[in-house]
Amino acid sequence: MDWQGQKRAEMLMQVLLVASAVAAFLAGYVLADFQLMLLVYAGGVVLTALITVPDWPFFNRNPLKWLDAADAERHPRPQVSAGATAGGKKKSGKNK
Amino acid sequence: MHSFGHRANAVATFAVTILAAMCFAASFSDNFNSATPTASVKILNINWFQKEANGNDEVSMTLNISADLSSLFTWNTKQVFVFVAAEYETAQNALNQVSLWDGIIPAKEHAKFLIHTTNKYRFIDQGSNLKGKDFNLTMHWHIMPKTGKMFADKIVMTGYRLPEQYR
Repeated sequence: MDWQGQKRAEMLMQVLLVASAVAAFLAGYVLADFQLMLLVYAGGVVLTALITVPDWPFFNRNPLKWLDAADAERHPRPQVSAGATAGGKKKSGKNK
Repeated sequence: MHSFGHRANAVATFAVTILAAMCFAASFSDNFNSATPTASVKILNINWFQKEANGNDEVSMTLNISADLSSLFTWNTKQVFVFVAAEYETAQNALNQVSLWDGIIPAKEHAKFLIHTTNKYRFIDQGSNLKGKDFNLTMHWHIMPKTGKMFADKIVMTGYRLPEQYR
């Protein structure tokens, strides 16, 4: 999943769960059936999990652009001096 | 939301948190129930009225207990626990409460009832104060919810009096 996809997945999860809860509560309250509320909500949770948890293709529509191998050679990694701890990993390709 | 496991965990925890909020809302909705319960208890007979070997009074009676508690039930009601207590005052205690009968009402359909019974639990005084005693019979109930707050209330019925002499 790319970054945009992750954001979309999280947003979808929140919206779907809250919507399931509201629908379940209204159904249960109006029909005076507590068990119905729980069943509707459980169905909503399963549906949300099916939509937001697996790595579906529509979560990968903004793929990351990694550098080609040729470009990487032209811009080599800086040498780490002796004694100094290696700095952060180079996050190449994070095009925002 | 970096991985399958990360997202699965997020869905699970958020779902459970929202479930807690729904249970709170369901319990809160019980406050909007306007209940109109009715009850009446009739003492049909004083079976016997004696002083025990240890000096305490005991009375056995046959009762007709009738009530309509169906308006207490909401969608969030698991069962209603109901009991009838004799309440009276003595020189020793400002308030004596002796439970005579109790029952569990599992559903609204069973909430309107008439029970003909002797007292389920023994009516024994702390001492010998019952001769000619005026007392109340109070029907208490606890509305036990499926989730959340339990409501309790009662109906006080006055005007009962025990015999002046043992029999």
